[in-house]
Amino acid sequence: MNCPMETGGNAGLLLDFAAGKLKADARAQMERHIEDCPACGEFAGAQQTVWQAMDNWEPAEVSLDFDRRLYARIEQVPWWTRLLRPLNPLFRHSVPVGAAACVVIMAGLLMNRPAAAPASPVSQSAQVEALQPEQLEHALDDMEMLREFNHLVPDNADPKM
Amino acid sequence: MDERVKDDMGGLAATLDFDAELMLRVKDGDGASFAILLEKHRLPVIHFLYRMVQNQGVAEELAQEVFLRVYRSRGSYEPTAKFTTWLFRIATHLALNSLRDGKHRRLEERLDDDSADTPVRQVSDQRPSVEQKMVHRARMEEIRRAVATLPEKQRAAVLMHKYEEMEYSQIAKVLNCSESAIKSLLFRAYETLRARLAHMA
Repeated sequence: MNCPMETGGNAGLLLDFAAGKLKADARAQMERHIEDCPACGEFAGAQQTVWQAMDNWEPAEVSLDFDRRLYARIEQVPWWTRLLRPLNPLFRHSVPVGAAACVVIMAGLLMNRPAAAPASPVSQSAQVEALQPEQLEHALDDMEMLREFNHLVPDNADPKM
Repeated sequence: MDERVKDDMGGLAATLDFDAELMLRVKDGDGASFAILLEKHRLPVIHFLYRMVQNQGVAEELAQEVFLRVYRSRGSYEPTAKFTTWLFRIATHLALNSLRDGKHRRLEERLDDDSADTPVRQVSDQRPSVEQKMVHRARMEEIRRAVATLPEKQRAAVLMHKYEEMEYSQIAKVLNCSESAIKSLLFRAYETLRARLAHMA
């Protein structure tokens, strides 16, 4: 048998042995192991001491009126239940109706969603303002080049070309 | 369910069926079944809570809340786990909340001092000598303090393992951990207790 102290997965085995919870065959196997393993023997001895010491810890006596107090609390209906009781039949019918109304409203809201908002002029002007002088210069050069190109093309040229 | 399968599952299934069946009867409005469940689980729940919060008054108050919750949630009860797993999950949840709120500390002095005036269930007529009483009290106090030093989850696991004799799998379900996590939790907890109580040998 593998030493339970060395294999973490078997940690419960020693605890069960000390608590007397092991079945006869497992107990016999553990007893044989403990004969050759002082560490496990020491562990089991100390654990049995703890186990026996804990047996001494008796809880205090229970109050005689425990059940009476409990049943009194059970019979005591919470104030919100009492308050809402007259409205129960109303709730019973109105909940499905309310749920259906919510679905209709949600569907309406989804269908009437406004179209995508146009880009605001403010942002356009912001873009213009953000133009660099070099960009403007390039644009003017391009326009000049186009104008010169137009002069080179004769007026009766075939537009399909 | 097939009878052979039932036999294979042994006592676990029998316990599950009996308590869960009672709870299902409570769900159907049978108050007598609730009384049986209360009679059966009253002491284990109170004792567990007492050892958790270490104050009898608070333990009883919490136990009342446990059974009240059991009764009030009867309508939605489904026997998906062992009844005691569900019961101790409620009890542990309430105990941990109480410890975190520190309620037990505020009530400790007052309720403990009043304990002599409270009517109690008499279990035994044996009267140990004053000396025996003192020795016993000192040992109990030492054990109580040793358990109190454990972190809350370790404490709950030890109490369920030692006093309620629960299986690792059941403790794991109550504390919402894996079985291996519970084993190492218990191993660490008992390590602390061994160090503190070794001289009692």
